[in-house]
Amino acid sequence: MGRYAVFISGPAGSGKSTLCSALIAHANTLGRNVHLVNLDPAAEHFTYTPTIDVRELVSLQDVMSELGLGPNGGLVYCFEYLLENLDWLEEQLGSFEDDYLIVDCPGQIELYTHTNLVQRVLSFLAVSHSFRLCQLYLLESHFVDDVTKFFAGTLSAMSAMINLEVPWINVLSKVDLLSRGTVGSTSSASGTSLAARRSLERYLDPDPLLLASSANASTNPRLHALNAAVVRLVDDFSVVHFLPSDANDEQSVGTLLSHIDHAMQYGEDEEPKEPRDMDRFEDEGDGPGDEQEEVERDFEDLLSGRSGVAGAGGIEI
Amino acid sequence: MASASSSTTPAAGSSRSNQDAELLPPIPKSNAILVIGMAGSGKSTLAGALSRHLEAEAAKRNPSAASSDPSASSSDASYLVNLDPAVSTLNYEPNVDIRDTVDYKRVMDEYNLGPNGGILTALNLFTTKFDQVMGILEGRSNEVDNIILDTPGQIEIFTWSASGTIITDSLASALPTCIAYVVDTPRTTAPATFMSNMLYACSIMYKTKLPFIIVFNKEDEQDAGFAREWMEDFEAFQEALNKGNATDQVDVGRGNPRARGAAGQEGEASYMNSLVNSMALLLEEFYNSIRAVSVSSLTGSGMPSFLSAVQEARQEYVDEYRPELEALRASRKQKQEERKKREVEKMMRDLRVKPSGKAAPKAATGARGGGGEVDDDDEEDPRITRMADRMRVPGYEGDGLIMEPDDDDVLLQTHGAAQTQAGQVPRRGGAQRGEGEDLASVGQRRREEQLARARLG
Repeated sequence: MGRYAVFISGPAGSGKSTLCSALIAHANTLGRNVHLVNLDPAAEHFTYTPTIDVRELVSLQDVMSELGLGPNGGLVYCFEYLLENLDWLEEQLGSFEDDYLIVDCPGQIELYTHTNLVQRVLSFLAVSHSFRLCQLYLLESHFVDDVTKFFAGTLSAMSAMINLEVPWINVLSKVDLLSRGTVGSTSSASGTSLAARRSLERYLDPDPLLLASSANASTNPRLHALNAAVVRLVDDFSVVHFLPSDANDEQSVGTLLSHIDHAMQYGEDEEPKEPRDMDRFEDEGDGPGDEQEEVERDFEDLLSGRSGVAGAGGIEI
Repeated sequence: MASASSSTTPAAGSSRSNQDAELLPPIPKSNAILVIGMAGSGKSTLAGALSRHLEAEAAKRNPSAASSDPSASSSDASYLVNLDPAVSTLNYEPNVDIRDTVDYKRVMDEYNLGPNGGILTALNLFTTKFDQVMGILEGRSNEVDNIILDTPGQIEIFTWSASGTIITDSLASALPTCIAYVVDTPRTTAPATFMSNMLYACSIMYKTKLPFIIVFNKEDEQDAGFAREWMEDFEAFQEALNKGNATDQVDVGRGNPRARGAAGQEGEASYMNSLVNSMALLLEEFYNSIRAVSVSSLTGSGMPSFLSAVQEARQEYVDEYRPELEALRASRKQKQEERKKREVEKMMRDLRVKPSGKAAPKAATGARGGGGEVDDDDEEDPRITRMADRMRVPGYEGDGLIMEPDDDDVLLQTHGAAQTQAGQVPRRGGAQRGEGEDLASVGQRRREEQLARARLG
């Protein structure tokens, strides 16, 4: 099967840890064996205990209290410490043939842009241990409530993406909050939910002309050329498209998992399994071929029913 | 009568801008500078250096004042606000400090949060009291030249949080605000890191929609010439990008299998190259809409050019942001008035005894004694206006606008079609009233408006 790892990143509070737990829960119901890896020295608590936890090596609280560093300096220190002790990580990873890791990353964008710490961990996994990698970038959906904020979100995603040359998926999290109409709305709950969802959908599968015209309507003429450039980028490269996600909705999480699998080409290397009893399939519903079938079925649904949803942008090299 | 400092709205020139100027106070003297940047880029250091520079300049201008009353000159030159709850020592003395209001370590303990959660919650708690801070700032806004706000260390706690947005918007609606985006120059010498940083800056500009200044800090350690070159010459930047390991400048033994390889072996057609090139094109447009300076907050160099960038940003605010704000206020006020009108009418209707159904209820400006049933919300019934007049007590929410027959329908019926055709519809039976104005001041205002129109017309 091979070794796969998906890195969940995004600004603080965007819902990374929650999504990690949701993905694990979903994978477990599919009978898949996935492990949680925590790379955030400042993390607080988890629903599922991580299989590998960097806080066992070094934790932010300890560093701050022992070395008298602030939260930012402490975080950088933790990461540098990890890089000096990558053999610890190696030991933890072991040498399994099959692995599927969900990695919870720290939020601070400085770790990605100003230091190459995360890149080095990624390349360590990819090169030394032949992992297939994928990165998920999370943004809270209620921040994207008009065109310019959508541009801002897209640009910040691109900014993070450019540093890590791995397959990339952008996700708008907490869409369930939109439907509950809890964020800054004065109209009735049901009215807001529909309107909010519809306005979000506008950004999930953007129409370039509409995007450009609404952006130009709400910004200064000086910025119109820039708006056009952003729209061009969004239109040309599906890798900057967003997927909605609701960590409480199993279907949403399942779709997300399918996208992740596809980005890493999980399951493509599967050997054909020995055919098993059809009866057993029907009874247990948990046969070895089921996983792959389910992934394929999800795909067909996506392609036929929701052809508008952008594919998980893969930077295939 | 129009706002005294408004040197910019002559272009608008219509009575509308004069009216709108009543909605917003005149533009204050202060510039608000929001210092934003990644952790370690030097925001706090810059705030301190800027403040010292401003004080020195002020002292040079009034040496006598400085010697006699040092505190006065320093407080007039700059006003410092610290919004970082987790900073341990600052090299300046803030006038307003979030740490005086919120103790982030206590927050962490009390709410059982980690460091990130603690900082975010501390900022949230402070934001609930930010209206008081705004009151203080507005109070000083005509004495102080520059108000400098130092934001939390981790940039996304400010830029992608509700609190940061609230603080930014509150500032921008009261003072000419600009964003000073501080770049850690020595750490952004790799083309891809540079691009990543610039894309993030662009993202912040879109989010705040405020005038933007990129400040290349730490020029004493790394000269910002390369940045300038990349910003001015697109081809040079592209060349640097496509050359080999663009994401890493000094690391040996990185061995990223996904590196583009020497001389772009993948060729220009690879997905990554094409995406990156498109991004670079986007950035070129971005550079045209912002300004960039290079400073060193350690040595204090580059401050004059930064300050002139702030002045340019102020002008941009006044030219572009402020009119949008005025338009927004006007439309919101109008909606508010319409809503009030409707509510008062509804209330009047509820209070009134039902009359015998008489036609022609639309005698608002004409026969005041008449009246029948009011059929729908937009009809004016003179009895409503009388009631409203009687009820207009101080503190009462309703305003005198009910007197307005806004629809031409009403006037047509009373004055006949002929007059409208002649284009002489007297749109307002008396005058349009501002909120809570009485007739005397309305009359005065109308005279002033006419004067203004005559001057501009």
